[in-house]
Amino acid sequence: MSKPIYEIVDDLPTTGLTVRALKSLDFVVPGHWENLVGFDNTIKAVTMETDPAMIQAIGERAVQLYNDKSQGYQKALWLYNTVDSASSALGAAALANRVGQDISFLGLLKHLAPKPEQAQSVDLAVKLVTEVVAFCQINGIPGDSLGDFLAALGDYGGEALLRMAALVSFDGLVPLGPNFIQKVGTYLNGLSPKDLEQNQTFKGVNELIPGGSSEEKLNFIGQSFESVKGWMGNLVTQNGLTQEGIVDRLVQVADVSKDKLDYLGAFLDIAVKYYSHTGTQTLARRLIERAVAEV
Amino acid sequence: MIRFNWRKALAALLLSVLLLSGATACSKVDNSPYAQAQKESTQRGARAVAKDAEQGSSFNKFFPSSGQGYTVVFSQEKKGFSEAKLKKDAKDMALLSISDTISLPTAAKKYDSATEKLAGYPVLEIGNTQTGILVADRYQVKALSRDPEFTKENRRAWIQKFDLIGLSKLK
Repeated sequence: MSKPIYEIVDDLPTTGLTVRALKSLDFVVPGHWENLVGFDNTIKAVTMETDPAMIQAIGERAVQLYNDKSQGYQKALWLYNTVDSASSALGAAALANRVGQDISFLGLLKHLAPKPEQAQSVDLAVKLVTEVVAFCQINGIPGDSLGDFLAALGDYGGEALLRMAALVSFDGLVPLGPNFIQKVGTYLNGLSPKDLEQNQTFKGVNELIPGGSSEEKLNFIGQSFESVKGWMGNLVTQNGLTQEGIVDRLVQVADVSKDKLDYLGAFLDIAVKYYSHTGTQTLARRLIERAVAEV
Repeated sequence: MIRFNWRKALAALLLSVLLLSGATACSKVDNSPYAQAQKESTQRGARAVAKDAEQGSSFNKFFPSSGQGYTVVFSQEKKGFSEAKLKKDAKDMALLSISDTISLPTAAKKYDSATEKLAGYPVLEIGNTQTGILVADRYQVKALSRDPEFTKENRRAWIQKFDLIGLSKLK
């Protein structure tokens, strides 16, 4: 049986590399990001209600909604979790565990191989599409409605905006450099459905990406990237995000030496579970927003 | 003479170990206040949203339009539920929602205690931030403050901006 939603939210970490890496980027969020952890805490913060009976009723309804598989909330969480674990190409669970203990970055280097640019580009695009699909699962808009997603993207805030900033920074700027948007576009254009099928991250979430064949899925990924790239570019300019700036911040977080920049992307892939962390927070928030309106 | 059958004894021993460990694994106590809700809602056939609940998309046309400096941005649309944010100067001021209480009869039942009406429907102030009415004994319309500046009076005014007559005729 899957873990209850209240345990998942209660168990979100308050420290560790993921939280520190996210904090290093939280200047992107107006008023900065609060690492909201704990089911009851989330209910109180989202609803501003204080009466214990009311909080209990909201929590119970949220639990019911989450457990009803037809509502899509479990699929969304599965997507956020899977895209994180699938993108750590080394799949070295043991290594990831050690990284969780914040051991020295340099000690890890011999185990890490930087991902080829093409794989990294596809990775970014697949993660972006995962966001689109998870958004639709959570908010109930049909899975191919990019227009609705784009309207909501403009309204992203809090942990959802931070997740996008992390995508742009950790999967774009750091491993691919300042021209990452053009690079990803070029690689996507030259990609065959077969190449896509080889990508580890795509393999993980493939079944929930709209489209009957790999070719259709590739088209959907291409369209999603095309529609969101302008927004990503703005996020970079408006917040003054640069490869150098992000690396400077990460140096403090992860004990990274700047001359090992090639490996930083690989390190982030394994150690930083920003999708599942902020994805769980987004899911809990939306679930609770619905529950409080229904009770 | 009864011969001691090692195989049978071993099988019995293994079985009991298996059962015992199984029982321990299953009997992990969930002390959460939500344990009961978890148990009930994971039982076979349990569902949070009734089969006959209205589609959320059929609620959308009854929501108020943007105006007076406020923007209505639809945020969730699920079977039996639709919700929009009410924003002013990029700030979330309130949430507006319609839900079908066919999935949650207790939500409708609470209006039995209402002593007051708003636009002809029973109205309740719920918790610190919510005003709700029950339309056609079935559809719950709520305004939920998300900013302290958005008062009870604002909530009541915005509830009246819904097309409540249209909603009451929804079958």
